Amino acid sequence: MHIKIKERLESIINDLEQLPSLPDTVSKIINMVNDPNVDFKLIAGEISKDQAITTNLLKLCNSAYFSKGKEISSLDRAIVTLGLKEVKDAVMVITTKPVLNKVVIGYDLTKGMLWEHDLAVAILSKKISMMKKDRMNADVVFTGGIIHDVGKTVLALFVQNAFKEIISVVETKGIPFQEAEKEVMGFDHQEVGAKILSKWNFPEVLKDIVRYHHQPDLAPESSRKLVSTVHVANTICLMAGVGIGSDGLYHELNGHAIEVLKLTDAELEQLYSEMPEVMTQVKEIQ
Amino acid sequence: MITLINVGVAQVQVGENPSVLRTILGSCVGICIYDRNKKIGGMAHVLLPHQQGDGKEEKYADTAIPLLIKKLIKMGCTREMMSAKIAGGASMFKFQSSVALGQIGNNNIDMTKKVLEENKIPITAEDVGGNTGRVIDFFLEDGRLKVKAAGEEKMYYKV
Repeated sequence: MHIKIKERLESIINDLEQLPSLPDTVSKIINMVNDPNVDFKLIAGEISKDQAITTNLLKLCNSAYFSKGKEISSLDRAIVTLGLKEVKDAVMVITTKPVLNKVVIGYDLTKGMLWEHDLAVAILSKKISMMKKDRMNADVVFTGGIIHDVGKTVLALFVQNAFKEIISVVETKGIPFQEAEKEVMGFDHQEVGAKILSKWNFPEVLKDIVRYHHQPDLAPESSRKLVSTVHVANTICLMAGVGIGSDGLYHELNGHAIEVLKLTDAELEQLYSEMPEVMTQVKEIQ
Repeated sequence: MITLINVGVAQVQVGENPSVLRTILGSCVGICIYDRNKKIGGMAHVLLPHQQGDGKEEKYADTAIPLLIKKLIKMGCTREMMSAKIAGGASMFKFQSSVALGQIGNNNIDMTKKVLEENKIPITAEDVGGNTGRVIDFFLEDGRLKVKAAGEEKMYYKV
């Protein structure tokens, strides 16, 4: 264990100033959308307070992926035509992009690779939800997919220095990369990510997705299915080489997650074989 | 001017000296075929071994490789001058052996070798299997292949 790295990381994750920021309006919107009695005018009002978000939102809502061919001329139209959850997902894409669309050294991801990966995991997670007739939660796993690796943005610099040690722990102990991260640096990118979500005041289920996306069997029962969804989507994207970095495939495809979701071999292969189509959708919203 | 051509998931692309073809691989296999006489080459990035009758030839090893050869012949290459380098086909570090998805990397490698053999294209270098992701650059200047995996770079020259 690198005591210096651990101490440095401890001070970073306990100092909100040093963790990435999101506009406050994002958690407000997520919580409003989760309230079944919310008046959609309140949400439109909250979004329109931020002119930059609103402008980009209309553009994104008119992309092929979100619009499904309909013309969206205003925020109110977007909410009525696409639904609150879709609009919330679009807000997530816009507001998290500055945090995630960057170089992630250490994991050897050049600019844009993490962002492309996050969008692919989001889109594929949603596909799995639809496939398993869990439409209710499709937006939650989409959001979770976008942010699941946010911890990497903070951990990257430290991984850069400790990479050789981490890989050698992976090989000598036969443990997955993120377990070796924790062993060498005291924290893994899931824990750091969960800290960031606390700062952002995000709901527990999203925190669970970030915290357990490599270990879905350890997630609380209440969120295990959604964590498993993002876990499987993440695995398939990495296998297809989307956002694969220096940690490669040194991860686990968790059997428990496949059982929880009742995914057959044929379904898993179908999801994997649909990756080219997923990448076309990524380009529409990138 | 050197142009970098990015080859996406399930794409087949060709180019000529001095272009560079690049792709990023997990369990997929990258097949790089080079005509040393013409200095023309191409790359296929295949997701799965067998075609599934969906008409998407570029996705599968058994259809993408013949497609790549056909494209190269159209550009004036001859089969006798062609050689191949292959990379990728990694597997998840841990998975339950009952889960078929875990075998895709190996199945891709096996099918790739079989199809190249059937087409009488010799493999001069391979960097396959294991658990690493790979960024590969295929230089059409001389057919060399650069493989970057787990922070290290290797170069394969033989054509």
